[in-house]
Amino acid sequence: MKHSLKKLWQATSVFYSFHYSVILVYMLQNTEYQVGPYLKWYWRTQNFTKVMTRRKLDKTKAARAVLFGLRTGMLLQILTGLWLVYLGVWGNVTGGVEFGLAVVVSYPIIWAHLVAVPLELGRILIVLPKQKRQIIASEKIFKNHKGAKIAIAGSYGKTSMKELLLTVLGEGKKVAATPANKNVPVSHAQFASKLTGDEDILLIEYGEGAPGDVERFAKTTHPTHGVITGLAPAHLDHYKTLKAAGEDIFSLAKYLKGKNIYVNGESPSAKEFLLKEFHLYNQDGALGWKVSDVKVGVDGLGFTLTKGKKNLKLRSHLIGRHQIGPLSLAAVLAHEFGLSDEQIEAGISKTAPFEHRMQPYLLSGGWIIDDTYNGNIEGIRAGTQLLKDLPAKRKLYVTPGLVDQGEENERVHIEVGELIATAQPDIVVLMQNSTTKFIQKGLESAGFAGELRIEQNPLEFYNNLREFVAVGDVALLQNDWPDNYA
Amino acid sequence: METVAVIFGGRSAEHDVSIVTAIASIIKPLELTRKYRVEAIYIAKDGAWYWGDELKDITLFTSGKIQDYMHKNQPASVQFDGGMTLVKASGIAGRKQQRKIDIVFPAMHGTYGEDGALMGLLDMAGIPYIGCGVSASAVAMDKVLAKQVAFANNIPVSKFLTFRCSDVEREPNAALKQIQAELEYPLFVKPAHLGSSIGISQVNDETGLRNGLEVAAHYDDKIIVEEAVQNLIEVTLPIMGNDQPMPALLEQPMTKPEDFFDFDTKYMQGGKKGKSSAKGSQGYSQIPADLPQDLYKHAEQAGLDVYRVLGCSGIARVDMLIDSKTKKVYFNEINPLPGGLYAHNWHAAGISSVDLVQKLIALAKERAVQRGSLATSFNTNYLQQF
Repeated sequence: MKHSLKKLWQATSVFYSFHYSVILVYMLQNTEYQVGPYLKWYWRTQNFTKVMTRRKLDKTKAARAVLFGLRTGMLLQILTGLWLVYLGVWGNVTGGVEFGLAVVVSYPIIWAHLVAVPLELGRILIVLPKQKRQIIASEKIFKNHKGAKIAIAGSYGKTSMKELLLTVLGEGKKVAATPANKNVPVSHAQFASKLTGDEDILLIEYGEGAPGDVERFAKTTHPTHGVITGLAPAHLDHYKTLKAAGEDIFSLAKYLKGKNIYVNGESPSAKEFLLKEFHLYNQDGALGWKVSDVKVGVDGLGFTLTKGKKNLKLRSHLIGRHQIGPLSLAAVLAHEFGLSDEQIEAGISKTAPFEHRMQPYLLSGGWIIDDTYNGNIEGIRAGTQLLKDLPAKRKLYVTPGLVDQGEENERVHIEVGELIATAQPDIVVLMQNSTTKFIQKGLESAGFAGELRIEQNPLEFYNNLREFVAVGDVALLQNDWPDNYA
Repeated sequence: METVAVIFGGRSAEHDVSIVTAIASIIKPLELTRKYRVEAIYIAKDGAWYWGDELKDITLFTSGKIQDYMHKNQPASVQFDGGMTLVKASGIAGRKQQRKIDIVFPAMHGTYGEDGALMGLLDMAGIPYIGCGVSASAVAMDKVLAKQVAFANNIPVSKFLTFRCSDVEREPNAALKQIQAELEYPLFVKPAHLGSSIGISQVNDETGLRNGLEVAAHYDDKIIVEEAVQNLIEVTLPIMGNDQPMPALLEQPMTKPEDFFDFDTKYMQGGKKGKSSAKGSQGYSQIPADLPQDLYKHAEQAGLDVYRVLGCSGIARVDMLIDSKTKKVYFNEINPLPGGLYAHNWHAAGISSVDLVQKLIALAKERAVQRGSLATSFNTNYLQQF
């Protein structure tokens, strides 16, 4: 009883704390100042003391300005309310006390919403027109650029494929790529403005999010080649169906009239969109090159690519069989662009996991494979296959499930459970949320016989992971829900 | 959910080491299991018992705020009511807060804890507890007794002499004379009951010996003086189990032959003198020890033999000395509650911290069941005769 009252007091009093405004700005910052997602998160939140779990507010110029505006507005509302109370008591203004108190009490809710108004106005009146001008200017830059322009689209694996191509093609060509996971039109425009014009190859990542996005990106960036990394349920809140997402992603192939299109042949959902003129890449090879002598380890991957009498002996620090296809494509494209065998082998040997993407590291003597950046069913398929392949004394699998699965949520998470069971981990750790029961259902239906652990506090579990592992263990961590989903 | 009480601190020179063992190596993994309610019981240096969740936070001790805590909080008491119940003032209208304990996890090092004193209390309460029982703890914590038991069971020990502290103080020259007549330098002078290398001296001459005896007498009423083993390889072996003990990995401290582990080396300088990058007792050794396979097996078996003949259960760590030329393995000493449970070694052996504490609890329960099946009553008409 005492404990519950204390919790209720904490959850309520936070609205009137000085920290409340910081929480609101943190929520805005985490949703990239987009009013819709911010308000959705705000309305969904039941306890604001738990919002800032993963990190703290990054006090950028924009964040400081919004924080100042928010606090000033709140202060003005409090003062106005107090003035009305004063008038009610001393000035005989009817209803002054009641209305004044209502004004004072309501300021946290009012300003949580009012803060969105200038942001939305600023976006409509200043940001969007500026971005539009930048995008129009970039269209000309891309159109006139003499280099090959490789567009990379797909529901998953885009950034990894882009970085992989950058590493391998960069061994012999001057290559420029859109930075990190900046993959929307304004990022393309900013990328275009920095080009020198003498690049041999441009790598442009397409971050689709709603119907028509990919077609629009293609019309602006004028690609000469297209890589489609796969199709899986993602952004279904806007696409509604997987088919709609597929149609948008494969509009890149339409733009290129089916020429120079390379598609991940291991993506089951992409199969219905395949045409015979597309080039498929998968664990067997790419463009007529055949894969053999595969060696999968926790510290890397090795295989041979053969075409006729030509052999490429490749060794990468990337892990998992699912990397054979993308690595093969990178090697073969490099060959097509005229890189020597030595350059290709050197390029592949430099490929390594990116942070939180199938990134192995040692902890308390056990191997941890950090794939917390993954966010789709195909990543889970690849990860569970890897866990199955790796030798270990004990295997652990950790996940909170996937976000943004829309109407597919139940089906996808039952499949997640089934995939986990196929890897036969000794321990499965799930983070308690709306998807947990579906994953459990999948685990049960696939006959999972190991230990199931359900964690209420994911962050505490991740922070104490070293206490759970020892030498001989392999623990695969897939997906991590940011604060706005947790 | 079972309640596990972790008892730490205590009236011992190893008070501070016990705090770290309890909080970092026991309470944290126990709580992470989500299977137990964990109660922290801190025994202050004056012997008062405190019970509270705040005691699970190491910063309370590192910041010195424990003094404020003890001023603000009444000590707890223990009720023996066919088991063990913790009792303390709740702070609300004079009401008492109580918690029935199911299992005790002693995290005490040294006197009044690791030496069997606490185990006696827990046996009286009839409550399962982790680690060695009264007799094994008492023997293990007396370096002289432990060596005598091992020697009687044909386990080699280095040549040693033992003295009462009062004898050394009364007739220091007689002790010196006897030592120099019967043993050869270099020698080790140790308090008989302390662990964590407190009060130990390595001596090479009479002056050093005199000082070493004085230091050891400061900490203990019983002193052991032993000959150093030549061509020394020092190894230690954590062991877990009751009737079927399971070894972890032989661990070899990375010391130079002229060096040895005193408390400062072990805990204050990251394990190895002059090497500040390593942390605690985990950074100074090689796991597994780099020994030829037959010698490794021989030392491992010697460790298991010591564990058995001393009647250990739950967990212990056996320290051994190897003459690398003769390949002879000598028992040195045994520690019935290794600092930090030697979790780093168990990790290397494939047992995580969370698994380690759970296994130890299972062993404690197993022993309690075994002991519970023994008859403790015997019906006679003896009383009726009066």
